[in-house]
Formats: sequence, C-alpha cells, structure tokens
Amino acid sequence: MARKPLDRANPSRRSVLLGAVAATGALARPVLAQTATLQVVTSFPEELTTRYEQEFEKTHAGAHVQFVWKQSRDALEQLSRADQGGADVYWAASLGNFPILRDRGALRALEVDRAVLPGKLGAQQLSDPSGFFEAYDIAGYGVAINPALLAQRGLKAPRAWRDLAAPGYAGQIVMPLAGKVGFSPALYDIILQSEGWEEGWALLSEIGGGSELLAQGGGPVGAVKEGQAPLGLTIDFLALQARANGLPIDFVYPERTAFLPGHVAITATTRQFELAKTFVDFALSRAGQRLMMETDSSRHPARPDAYEGKPAANVDPFALPPSASFAYDTEVGRRRPGLVVALFEVMLNERPAKIAVLWRAIHTAEAKKPLGGEALTTLKEARRLVGLVPVSARDASDPTFLERFAKRDAIDPGLIQRWRAEIDAAQTQAQDLLARVGTAP
Amino acid sequence: MKRAVALVSLLVLTAAAPFENAKLDGEAFSRPMPGLDAARSKSFYAGSGLFRQAWMIGPSRDHPDVVGLGPLYNRLSCVACHVKNGRGAAPGDEGGVARAMVLRLSKPGADVHGGPLPHPVYGAQLNPEGVPGVPGEGRAVVRYEFFESKLADGTAVAMRRPRITLEDLAYGPLEPTTPSSPRNAPPAFGLGLLEAVPESQILALAAKNGGRANYVFDIESGAIKLGRFGLKANQPSLKQQIANAFAEDIGISSSLFPGENCTPAEVACLEAAKGAPRAELTEAQLAEVLDYIRVLAPPARREKGYARVKQGEALFEAIGCAACHRETLTLGAFFPLPALGGTPIHPYTDLLLHDMGKGLADGRMDFLAGPRDWRTPPLWGLGLAGKFGDAANFLHDGRARDVSEAILWHGGEAQAAAEAFHALGAANREALLAFLNSL
Repeated sequence: MARKPLDRANPSRRSVLLGAVAATGALARPVLAQTATLQVVTSFPEELTTRYEQEFEKTHAGAHVQFVWKQSRDALEQLSRADQGGADVYWAASLGNFPILRDRGALRALEVDRAVLPGKLGAQQLSDPSGFFEAYDIAGYGVAINPALLAQRGLKAPRAWRDLAAPGYAGQIVMPLAGKVGFSPALYDIILQSEGWEEGWALLSEIGGGSELLAQGGGPVGAVKEGQAPLGLTIDFLALQARANGLPIDFVYPERTAFLPGHVAITATTRQFELAKTFVDFALSRAGQRLMMETDSSRHPARPDAYEGKPAANVDPFALPPSASFAYDTEVGRRRPGLVVALFEVMLNERPAKIAVLWRAIHTAEAKKPLGGEALTTLKEARRLVGLVPVSARDASDPTFLERFAKRDAIDPGLIQRWRAEIDAAQTQAQDLLARVGTAP
Repeated sequence: MKRAVALVSLLVLTAAAPFENAKLDGEAFSRPMPGLDAARSKSFYAGSGLFRQAWMIGPSRDHPDVVGLGPLYNRLSCVACHVKNGRGAAPGDEGGVARAMVLRLSKPGADVHGGPLPHPVYGAQLNPEGVPGVPGEGRAVVRYEFFESKLADGTAVAMRRPRITLEDLAYGPLEPTTPSSPRNAPPAFGLGLLEAVPESQILALAAKNGGRANYVFDIESGAIKLGRFGLKANQPSLKQQIANAFAEDIGISSSLFPGENCTPAEVACLEAAKGAPRAELTEAQLAEVLDYIRVLAPPARREKGYARVKQGEALFEAIGCAACHRETLTLGAFFPLPALGGTPIHPYTDLLLHDMGKGLADGRMDFLAGPRDWRTPPLWGLGLAGKFGDAANFLHDGRARDVSEAILWHGGEAQAAAEAFHALGAANREALLAFLNSL
C-alpha cells in the first residue's frame, strides 16, 4: 500500500525555495544543482559517518555521500555481486572481507603516501601489502575499568591478560559473548595469539569461570560504567568514548595486546572513481583522520601525524613501547572468528556454572600451602583438563579446517557434539583429580 | 577537548527528583528513570539498541530483524537526528544541507480527519535519500540572513533567519506556494512523563492562558484525540509519534503506518517496495522503543538555590514566560513506575498551541494548529543543550544559536514577554539566563 497519493508527475531536477519560508521573507529563486552521489558501504556507526558526510560535503561542493549500512556478511554479499550494488567505496572494520574482496577482483588498487601512512604498526601489517585496501583506523583491545568500584573492592587494575584469572578477580569481570557481540571474536583471538592456542583457551576458561557473560544491554562497557562490575573486556573506543563523555571509566591495554585495523577501499565497478578517490583521500588525510578522535568516536587514526597535539590522556599506539603489543597475525585471525565463536559457545557459554565451580576448586587447592609434589602434579593436570580445547593449534591455523566454520549456520553438529563429549570427559576427570587433593567441587 | 573541560565542570551531582537523572555527564539524556524492574530495564536497553540502530536494506543475513530501510528516507537511524537524545544540529552559519531537520510537505486543504493533505508527488515529508536505484526526492538546503536585534540597553544580539532552498528535486518541480514546515529534531527525554499528564490538566491551562489544544487523529482508536507530541502537538500518543517518525524519517513501516512511503509518481520506489512486509517494525520492536522513550529521564536541575538563579526564576514569572512555559504539571498514572503517579514534574510547558507570530510562522496548517502556531516546547534540560555533543539549536528550525536569540524570535501571544526581555537591564537579563541555564 502506498501512503503517498498522486496527483501528477513531472520529473525535473531544478530547485526551488518554498513557501514555508516565504513567511520569513525567503526568495523564490530556482537554483540548478547537480549533485553526484557517492555510495559508501560501511559498518561504522552514524556518530562517525555523519561527521565525515558533513565535513566532506562542506569541502566538496556538488558531492553527496550516501551511506549504506551493512555488516560483514551482508557487505560481502553485496560487494561480491557483479554490479556491487552500485557501491563506490567500502569502509568498515572487517578483517575478513577486504582480503576476500581483493582476491575476487572486487577492489581497485589505491595509491597512498607511505611517508604519512605507514600501513604498519611496529611489525604488524595494517594495510594490504598489494595496495587494494588501506588501514583507516586501529582499535585496541583490553579491559574497561570502573576505578572507584575497583578501589572499593580492594583490587588493583590488571596489567596482563593472565592477571584476570587471579582468584581475587573472580566475580568482578564481565565478558562479551563471542557469538553475540561483534568485536568479541577478535578480542578472544588476540588473547589466543598472545598466549598461545592451548594456553589461551585455558586462560579464557579460567577467566570465564569468574566472569559474567553478557550479550545485549549496554555490554561490558555499559556494565562497568553503571557500576555493575569493576572490570569488563572490550574494544577500546567504547570505553574511551564513555571516558571522554565524563563517565567514571578507564581503560587498560594489557601487555601483549593488539591493535586491529579498519580499512577503506574503492570498488572495482565504481563509475565515479575520481570522487571515490577524493573521499578515500579525505578519510586518510590528517584532517579526516582527526575526525575519528572526537569525543563521540574516540578512535585511533592509522596515520601517525594525526596524533600531534592530542589530549594527554589519549594513547598513540604508534608511540607505545614494542612490548605493549605483538604482531597479530591477521592472515590467521581473519579466518578464525567462526571457530572462536563455536569453541567459546561450547567451552564457556554452555557451562558457566560448571567451569566456575571447577576453577574455584583448583584455586582453593592451590591456596593450601605447602603443596607436595604429587598435589602440584595433580593440580597441573586438573588445570589442563578443565581448560582443554578440543581443537589442535595446527588445525586452528589451517585455512582448510577454518573454512568449515566460515558459515556459522553450516557447522557440522556432529563435530560440535564430539567437542562437547571430549570436554565433558575431561572435566569429569578433572573433578576426580580434585577430589584426590580434597577440593572436589 | 573543550567539551571535556566543560564536562568536568558539569559533573556535579544534584538533589534530583525521583523521575530525574542526577548524573550529568555525556549520558545526561540517555539514562532511564531510577527504579525500573528487571523486565523494564531489559526492554529499555533493547529499545535503546533499536533507537541507535542503523536500519538496513534487506534482505540481511547479519541482521534480518532490522531491515526495510526506505525505499525513501531521511536518515538511517533515530539517533542520527536526535543526537544523544538531545536536539539535532541545524546547519551552521555557513548554511548547508538540513540533516537533522525534516521538511513536512502538503497541499492546501485537509483530509477527512482534519489533518494536512500530503503533497501528491512528494508525500508528507521530503525524503532526501533513496535506496540504490530509487532517486532521493531532493535536498533541503538552508542558508541564513543575518541581522542584529538591539536590546534596550544597547546590547546587540546576533540573529539569523533561515531560507530553505530545495535542490535536486527528482520527481518534478514543487510550487513555491507548497505548504511546508521545517522541523528540527527535538529532545527525546521526558516524553513518557508528558504522556502521563491528565488531559483535564492541559485543558484547564488552556482556559487560563489562552493556549489552544490541538485535536488530531488517533490511528489506533480511529478517534480524534488531544494532540500533545510533535512541534505542533500533531500526534496524540507517544506510540503514534514514534511509529510516524519511523515511517516518515527512516521508511520503516509498522502496524500504525503499514506499507511503504512511495507516491504513485515514485515508480522506482514502488518497484523497490514490492514484496516488503506491511510492518517492518514488529509490534515487539515498537513496544521496546516505546518502553525506552517512556522512561528516558529528564536531567536534574542545577544551581537551584543560587541567588541569581532565584532572581531569574522570579523574572521568568514576572515578564510572562511562565504563563505558557508552565513550571509544574502533575502526573496521573504512570504505569512504568507506578510510584511516580501523582508526582509533580517540571517540564516548563503547557503542551498547548500558541500563536508565535509572523516571524516563526511556517504558513502551514496541521490539524487545528495554524500557520503561526507552535506547541510550547518543554524547557527541562535547556541549560545542558550543546554540552554533551547534541546541538544548542533552538526553535522549530534550529535557527536560534542561544537562548537570547530564541526569546527574541517570540512573537504573537509571546510578544509581550519578548518585549519585556528586550527591556531588561543587563543584570536582570543575566539572572534570567542563569535561571534558564539551570534547567
């Protein structure tokens, strides 16, 4: 049903000044306008995109930027079509999509000035080495903190990912659910790459045993800023936006975290290459990069000179010591989200109470001093079993294996069931071991 | 950085009323009223997510629940115009495209319910954007004329008068005489409380101050009812106000506004709309957004006890502002938080229409609201406008860049109050502004 009725149609593209303002003395002088519309497919929030729209259109008369908002799978579907849905630019934080689109011939090569856009952060590659997509921003991962609540509970801020597993933090942490919160597969994969595959999953299990898993609502940052928990695992800009808005929240980058890039690229089928290039150049210019540092975005530019004159509280990732982060392997990382989500579901989300009890029992046993050699060996084995991941490190880096998890709704349920059984058996065995050291849950 | 400094100076907890948000930070307009139970809290956050959501062109594998954008629309989300739940930004002094402002369109006459007749080609509202393949209708570009208003003591107040040009009209010319009305996005907080003010109370005020009620069509009941939402009080309920904004601004249909927003002249729009569900916003989603808006708390007042603020408050009463900007209304039943029933609230509005003079006239009828009529806007939160990332643009089209400029545009029934402001000496004027800044 059409809500708008028709009296007539008479296509034209001239402009007119309306009677609405005639009452305030307006002139009715038709103005010709020829506006070129640039379609930008993006998943960035409107607080950010609107600023680019405003500033770009202000300085580029006759250009109009239209944003088509799509997240990962939808954007990949549109941009893989022959006509790419009319898109001119793809601008998003999607580690996975850009290389796929490059390999499908869906992007055009860009020219950038490496003197100002290094395309790297330390040893970590940020931009496409073959030049088809360029880093736009970099987002760090870490821990949002409610300083007052933390102090009230007699706790100090963690400095490393491993600190979060300390018994003192049990019940004080909120974590995002990997399958529900967009940034969380990358967050968890940073911990896995930083700590090692098996050790990383054991650590996630141990942290998860003392945490609340959050899906919706305000997410971890919402819980921290509203005082529901003193610590929350998150992507940095959500916490930094809150801090910049005056909320009582801080953010810690644990040692060996990583900063992951968002990218910008021009589509292969654009019919407005010059305008698309102008927009990309603007987004990567010093002025364009500084827009993302405004209060309601609080993101990190991929261009080092954009940090000049930044507020002291803001971190410049390019100026951090090398130990602050490691070279995250994006070639592995971009293929892993499906596997990380599936494992997180089985290892943490399906059994929060069970792993909480098991890790508490281990911590209780470990607190008994002195521990004999046999007890130490037993507890070490119990730890291994409780944090056991049913996928090898080799498989977790194998593109063929990872491809099996690329479509989340097409994962083999039999495989998941086998993981579940393996974890159940290991945790039952761990329970028996803990009984031997007198802390059976 | 300037904003960060300003924030620090505002981070003062004040004694708040039970319906107010006492935390005056960057989320001053985004918190629920205290005391929600778990179910209402959950619904609040779900509604908050939908209010912030950028709506998508369907189909979607990632978010099949938030598709249906357009085919014609203004912006992708509610929050794009209601910035941080505060006011939308009008174009700056250099002029530019109206982004947080909609332009209502009609043709002379009234529909069977007494409401405005949509323009036959462009519909009820200019939609500048179209999904790919559907030309946007055109863009409203605002330019300003600047002048000064000299106060009695010689102080000059900078004023600007907007002129709106329509550019890139894609579906044919619009006659310069087309009735139209620019409407800048107003704040979204406190609306649930205004909904809970008994109708009898509003009508009693009309008998006292000359204000007039707008009576408008209520789609759900099929009856004519008191209008209280929208800049011309042209919506009878919060639910209809929200559903109408989804339909007109984002192109999202619902049970109250089924179908797509295409006129028969907009062939590509009709084509793109084929197969779309009658209601893209589900009843559950509409209920969540409604739950969210209903309990968005107005911010607490500051500096209430300061002598200068008290002096300003007395002047506000004395020069006649308070006749329409009524300080106190009393809630009837307020079902999200029943304990608030019967509580006095302080929105500084009477929810009635008043003739605001030629200078603010839009020349367009909207049910009983005449071309010079506007509903008295609530003033709660006024002093925080522009402090947290929303805009400090006042009046229906955002032309006023500060409160003095806004007051000086008052005409018609408010002419005497504006003239009294004009005549105030500097000290009294500063006191009045200090009071308004405390709201």
